[in-house]
Amino acid sequence: MTRFIESTITFPYKRSLGPVVGAFMTALTEKQILGIRCGDGVLVPPMEWDPATGAELPHEFVEVGPVGTVESWTWVPAPSEQHPLDHPFAFALVRLDGATTPLLHAVDAGTPESMAEGMRVAPRWRGSREGRIDDIICFVPGETAETEGEDTGGAAEPVTRMDYLASITYRNPVPEAADRATEASRDHRLLGLQCPTCARVYAGGRGLCPVDAIELGPECEVDLPHTGTITNFAIVTPVQYPGQTETEPFVRAFVLLDGTDVIIPYAAVIELPADQVRVGQRVDAVWASPAEATEEGGGMGGSWGSLLGWIPNGQPDLDDPDLVNRIF
Amino acid sequence: MSTPPVAVVGVGQTHHKSRRLDVSFGGLVREAVFRALDDAHMAMADIDAVVLGKAPDLFEGVMKPELYLSDALGAVGKPMFRVHTAGSVGGTTAIVAASHVQAGKHKTVLAVAFEKQSEGNAQFALGSGKGASLGAGGAFAPFIRAYIQRSGAPEHIGWKVAVKDRLNALKNPYAHLKIEDISIEKVKASPMMWEPIRFLESCPSSDGACAVVITDAAGANAAAADGRPPAWILSASSRSEPPSFPGRDPVRPAAALQCAADVYAAAGITDPRRQIDTAELYVPFSWLEPIWLEAFGLADEGEGWKLVDDGTTELGGSLPVNASGGVLSSNPIGASGLLRFAEAANQVRGAAGEHQVDGAKVAIGMAYGANNQYFSTWAVGSSLHPFG
Amino acid sequence: MSTPSTDIAVIGWAHTPMVRHTDKSETQLLMDAITDAIDPLGLTRADIDFTCLGSCDYITGQAFSFVSNLDAIGAWPPKRDSHVEMDGAWALYEAWLRLQEGDIEIAVVTGSGRSSTGDPALIYPMEMDPYFLAPLGADPLTFAALQARAVIAAGIADERSMAEVAVRSRGAGDVDTLLAEEYLRQPLRRHDVPPITDGAAAMVLATGDRARQLVERPAYITGFDHRTECHNPSFRALDDSPSTRIAAAAAGLGDAPVEVAELQAAFTHEELLLRRVLDLGAAVAVNPSGGALRDNPIMATGLCRIGFAADHIFAGGGRALAHSTSGPCLQQNLVCILEGRS
Repeated sequence: MTRFIESTITFPYKRSLGPVVGAFMTALTEKQILGIRCGDGVLVPPMEWDPATGAELPHEFVEVGPVGTVESWTWVPAPSEQHPLDHPFAFALVRLDGATTPLLHAVDAGTPESMAEGMRVAPRWRGSREGRIDDIICFVPGETAETEGEDTGGAAEPVTRMDYLASITYRNPVPEAADRATEASRDHRLLGLQCPTCARVYAGGRGLCPVDAIELGPECEVDLPHTGTITNFAIVTPVQYPGQTETEPFVRAFVLLDGTDVIIPYAAVIELPADQVRVGQRVDAVWASPAEATEEGGGMGGSWGSLLGWIPNGQPDLDDPDLVNRIF
Repeated sequence: MSTPPVAVVGVGQTHHKSRRLDVSFGGLVREAVFRALDDAHMAMADIDAVVLGKAPDLFEGVMKPELYLSDALGAVGKPMFRVHTAGSVGGTTAIVAASHVQAGKHKTVLAVAFEKQSEGNAQFALGSGKGASLGAGGAFAPFIRAYIQRSGAPEHIGWKVAVKDRLNALKNPYAHLKIEDISIEKVKASPMMWEPIRFLESCPSSDGACAVVITDAAGANAAAADGRPPAWILSASSRSEPPSFPGRDPVRPAAALQCAADVYAAAGITDPRRQIDTAELYVPFSWLEPIWLEAFGLADEGEGWKLVDDGTTELGGSLPVNASGGVLSSNPIGASGLLRFAEAANQVRGAAGEHQVDGAKVAIGMAYGANNQYFSTWAVGSSLHPFG
Repeated sequence: MSTPSTDIAVIGWAHTPMVRHTDKSETQLLMDAITDAIDPLGLTRADIDFTCLGSCDYITGQAFSFVSNLDAIGAWPPKRDSHVEMDGAWALYEAWLRLQEGDIEIAVVTGSGRSSTGDPALIYPMEMDPYFLAPLGADPLTFAALQARAVIAAGIADERSMAEVAVRSRGAGDVDTLLAEEYLRQPLRRHDVPPITDGAAAMVLATGDRARQLVERPAYITGFDHRTECHNPSFRALDDSPSTRIAAAAAGLGDAPVEVAELQAAFTHEELLLRRVLDLGAAVAVNPSGGALRDNPIMATGLCRIGFAADHIFAGGGRALAHSTSGPCLQQNLVCILEGRS
């Protein structure tokens, strides 16, 4: 029974608009809609370039609308979290008066029967406008523009930036090998998988040999020792970003397991300050107690499961100049 | 090489900055494109196909941006192609663009690569939004430690590379970082980022774009006749190896050695150190310069650091490396590889301005990606048969 | 300028089972697909001279997702390799260009994606104009519906002929019953839209002599082209697909009749529009595989069209067309013509 992990990638992007989109967005805050002259036509929404040829367009803005005509539409019976309205609405191509191309936007018509090609629509403006396309909350049937909420007026400064919050949730399968490694870690076993063709051993729930491009099943399982030597390491000074969990420089060590060629890469260390980590240092695995064991694992994360990290065991350092090359 | 010869006839790039707040997505790319077209004495209508490269779309939160940028790049009615090979992508973009011309399918192709990473956050995107991201340099610090141990290189080598590249950047009007008072002391005093890599030994995060116009022999000869020497593409290769398995050597990666071997064999380069006049190598962290000098046969194994130490790779030395200031000075991630390829081309065209290497006839541009796994390299020459 | 060689051929391909949802990871899918494509040819991964993968980070949910897909290739010793953030059909284009250089003989291209991983309605708005369309959550179903209206208004399709396409593609269903269903995004109903499919495909391409050594009847690529249009559907006439027309002409569709056309039409009206644009008469069998309406493994759908077209040639057919598309309202289109030789 395959387990799935849900993860959400969320980021608040901040875009710079450039001179044309910037002018459009600034005008929106003034409850004005701009198009740009393109040959004989007026492009809405306005572009920096002629869509047909790529030629740069002079900044000849033309005020259009705010009323327009629906050229085409479709009904959205079950809006998504990204849509402009949270109740059923129409997405429509609206040709604003004075424009030669239509603008896609929502029409809050109530029912699909209220929608018709050729109908007139007007904007419902957001009271507090930032300079985003949704300063127009949607269009409404008729020729009278509305404003929802207290009208805070146009932007004090020209609008040059735009926020865009992207958030997508994914469900990815956890391959069987990863889950078996996690399971084994609950019993404090460090599981490796040995490739029957090349004999390389892979730890950390990696269920395939990338050299021979074959999957490694349970019959390939071997138990790995819990003691090893630090061969190399990275000391990372963290930078801040949404989702960052670290505030102090932290260590990620490479641990060569005794009697094997298996190297645990970018391993978490325990009770080993960044200024004391050394090549050749002897370490033991540290496991979470059953009480500590969580779905996502401890310091190591992922399919390492209950393996929290590696702790110096006090044995004398291994003195071998080749150790530092043992990275993979 | 049995394929028809192709050449670079136009190069353009943006002024790279940490944040290009003055331009939109399309505006950024078009700045580079129009400069390249102007350089080639061409217009958008002369381009038959466009190849776009950039790093993960998560950097800007725009998925498959070649779709949005189709009209911005004048690609309506033309083929539009998007490649993505991690950090080497800029190089791959140029190689695939050249391939479009070499196949005899298109006469003139525009290669474009860009990143507007200030709209997002690079560290966030590199870690796909998870905490404790290693950051850009965290993956490479161990490789560098191993190199230093193997070669016995003294600790100042990384600092010397940093100073060299930053001094070179002062001669590159497009470079992002211009540190007038750069010095070994200043580098040494800068904060440690990923031991032993210090802040001033690391690449910046830049918004920027690069564009290159590649055309067939007829087009190249026409440019030459017009007093605008082309850069002939002597050879190119892309090689990849898997991320992690016992026996992998990220300090002297097999994929790099193989990529170099491909490029040199096809170009007739038998003695890289002597036959190559200048190299643009992808060095986002200082110590990667000696590492790549060795992997690309410009120095013997273990000796790369000596070429740094004795000034060989300085602008005035016998094998200048990263005369443009390199990735250390400008790093719009998706474009950085193409910048290497473009700068190499400019060198053999005699078009590198103040950072021109005198008399450069053969140059290589190299880019790598991921954990030293993806390698793209090309060799360019001022003539098709530079070695007679 | 020389023209491309027509002596490069598809010699085999494989796809993973087309399912609504698989427990396998993308890398596992690829591993299976590649093995299944090369094994019947007696090839091993060591025989592959060049690989090109097609996949999309945003579909998979991870930056650099294609890097772990490298494990499926067996890129050791290091391979000549590339990746496109596009359907595998475009990966095939890159490989076809590469093989033209004449120094290598065998390429393998792949397309992979698990569309069950995320919700397309939430992901695809991110490929739209970042200022005017993405912030409205403008989703592919909406754009498809608007194009369907235009195609119907132009008389190229109607709801009945669209339902007929659905029945034919899925080999099941009754037109009147389907037409009695509610609209999903009018004028589209559930049967007019593609399924969610997890899957991957791998295809083997070889140069002339090598191809002839390996198989009886290679499917030669005699024409291959792709074109794009401007992005914003507001600026386009949605009752036409000019880039398809241009690509088809450049690929030589007009030179001779095709027996089979595999079109990446994810929506029923798209098939009808593409038939019209490509001027496919009644004699052409369109989507005998069932097309994207039957199975839609994102980033591999187009490659599968080429694969099924190749199957027609392998089975003795003379000439087949395959089509792939990307972007809203058929923004970008690829046409590949395959031929057998006597």
